[in-house]
Amino acid sequence: MNFIFSEEQIQFKDAIKSFLAEECTPSSIRDGWQANKSFNLDRWKNLIELGVLNSNLPQDKGGLGMDQVTLALMVEEMGYAGLPEPVAEQTFLINDAIPFLPKNITEAIESNYNDGGQYIALAHPLAPNPLFLNDSAGLILFDNSECKFIAKDDMDFEVISSNDPSRELFKINSINNAICTSENFDEINSAVSARGALMTAALLIGLAQKMIDLSSVYVLDRTQFGKPIGSFQAVKHMLADVAVKIEFAKPAVYRAAYSLSENNPKSALHCAHAKFMCAQAAELACKNSIQAHGAMGYTWEMDLHIYMRKAWSMMACWGNEDRQQDIIFNTLSSTSEELGVLYTF
Amino acid sequence: MHSLKKETQILKMKINFTNEQNLFRDEVRTWLESNVPETSLLSLDTKEGFEQHREWEKTLNQGNWSMVTWPKEYGGRGLDLIQWLIFEEEYYRAEAPTRVNQNGVFLLGPTLMEFGTHEQKSKFLNAMATGDHIWAQGWSEPGAGSDMAAIRTTAVLEGDHYKINGQKTWSSRAAYADWTFGLFRTDLHSERHRGLSFILVPLDLPGITVRPIPQLDGEPGFAEIYFDDVKVPVENLLGGDGEGWKIAMATAGFERGLMLRSPARFQQTAAKLLELYLAKQDHCSPMIQAKVVEAWAQSESYALSIYHTASKMLDGGSIGSESSLGKIFWSELDHMMHQTALKILGASAELSQESKYDAAKWIKGFMFSYAGPIYAGTNEIQKNIIAERLLGLPR
Repeated sequence: MNFIFSEEQIQFKDAIKSFLAEECTPSSIRDGWQANKSFNLDRWKNLIELGVLNSNLPQDKGGLGMDQVTLALMVEEMGYAGLPEPVAEQTFLINDAIPFLPKNITEAIESNYNDGGQYIALAHPLAPNPLFLNDSAGLILFDNSECKFIAKDDMDFEVISSNDPSRELFKINSINNAICTSENFDEINSAVSARGALMTAALLIGLAQKMIDLSSVYVLDRTQFGKPIGSFQAVKHMLADVAVKIEFAKPAVYRAAYSLSENNPKSALHCAHAKFMCAQAAELACKNSIQAHGAMGYTWEMDLHIYMRKAWSMMACWGNEDRQQDIIFNTLSSTSEELGVLYTF
Repeated sequence: MHSLKKETQILKMKINFTNEQNLFRDEVRTWLESNVPETSLLSLDTKEGFEQHREWEKTLNQGNWSMVTWPKEYGGRGLDLIQWLIFEEEYYRAEAPTRVNQNGVFLLGPTLMEFGTHEQKSKFLNAMATGDHIWAQGWSEPGAGSDMAAIRTTAVLEGDHYKINGQKTWSSRAAYADWTFGLFRTDLHSERHRGLSFILVPLDLPGITVRPIPQLDGEPGFAEIYFDDVKVPVENLLGGDGEGWKIAMATAGFERGLMLRSPARFQQTAAKLLELYLAKQDHCSPMIQAKVVEAWAQSESYALSIYHTASKMLDGGSIGSESSLGKIFWSELDHMMHQTALKILGASAELSQESKYDAAKWIKGFMFSYAGPIYAGTNEIQKNIIAERLLGLPR
């Protein structure tokens, strides 16, 4: 039993943190909103250069074969920075699916993908509207029985609005040509669903942490009645409640990531647990952070909503809290699954 | 910009038990299976129940299971934190009796090892292990609750003894305990946390009056202790005169914060809650199911968090506000679980002697769960600590 990170893992986390602190600032995100172009090609190319985008591709496919725990630590930082490019919730999911997909699909992906790291979008019933199709080389689409690859020119699509301006969403109107497979569909589909829950959970941890950090700075700065409002217990307690939620959501993410890396048969339960805890933490972070900011929190001007909007989307996509609750209950109530004191590990 | 393209086999994490840890678990389980009393003991807050629990401490000690985390030189097993968590998991699984000497084993014992003289260690540690000395806490006073530095009970040095006058209250276990430990003001001109000393007091001395306070369940789990010119030998001073605050803070330190409530206790409650829900599901609304899932999810998270923290400590890491975060989390969780159980029980939730569906146990636990957010530092005090130390907000 050694529930701990290695120095190398922390180095990966720190590397991506300092990269994003420079390349993904609130003002660069707002520039993307202004220009209706949140997908930043320069940043994307730098992420490729840094080795991030392929990090969880198998080594024989040109990746680093990175374990899920390190990946989750990096994804936390992507959440913290409010990264608009869907690295965690699309690219990493596709990378993880590649070893399980049949050859006709992977070849189609590779021929579109590996020439300089073209972006490929992903759509799934749990996150049905793909992002940034105009910037993509194509789309991987999961429907209820098949997995398809569709090249960009083989479909007709239109942009639809998201409540998060960082997310340029699309609706597919028609598909002219697709490479389809139903081989191992259930297995691949549940693997992608579980990982989608985990990736959004890790993003939510970072987003919640960012919101509480912004709030802590704000309540130190803002004075009323002659003192910083952060010296009032009502404000302190609100933010402490969020800190508690974050603290106990984090280890659920790390355990779920570890379970996936170890092919633990309970990994779907563990991923649902992670998303359940993180969605609750992020929800409270939104509520209490805006409250700590007072009326300023309700303005477009404050940066808080950059992260709040992303959090709302990440709570909704890849299975919201309610869906995770169903997964957990169905697992716990089925007689084949043991739970309780002795079955945590 | 440094590329990530380098080492990839970096997973140091290992979230499962070693063979050695599993063997240890078997050993604990085997012993508990043949030694835990078949019928549950009477409440430890009754005179008869207290003595039954003292007997259980003796039984534990005979098997060398009473002080598992103490170093071997003091008669313990020298278990590390992970082994301790395993021990606790088995202890709750076996539904073994509540530890009547928790104050001694987890609070005073380690403090004595750190600050006690050789004589104090030999006088008190073994007697604690055998259950001969059961300890009560003596911190709070009528005017010193959350604000512990407002302590006014005095201990004046007169030759070879201290003369104590004043009153302690909310002293857990004091109704039947043999000894108490706590803070007393030895410098009468001092203020706040200066001039306090940590003194060990036998509760049978002349001048001491113990007045049990019936708790919400009607039983005296705590008591008031009145001191009227009580003479305590100077050898009972722990650490230096005036160093009491520092020592008390060590007593409240993290490792003991972690040991106050191990995760197994809450995981056991969550599992029983699920069992109760599945038995009565047809009478419940979907809202109840949501709470049952939350109980499992949170108790699971608490366990993961404690294993994570224990691993960090074993790796030489330092610990920050974890005990404050944890105390809020488990106390709110415990209350939520018992509240949910009572909702599932429906109209039986007032039947305090009912054994069907363990109604009586749930009701008793429900009442006790109201104490969690209050004792060991109220949750409001813990939130101040988190806001000030973790989030950097001003005092």
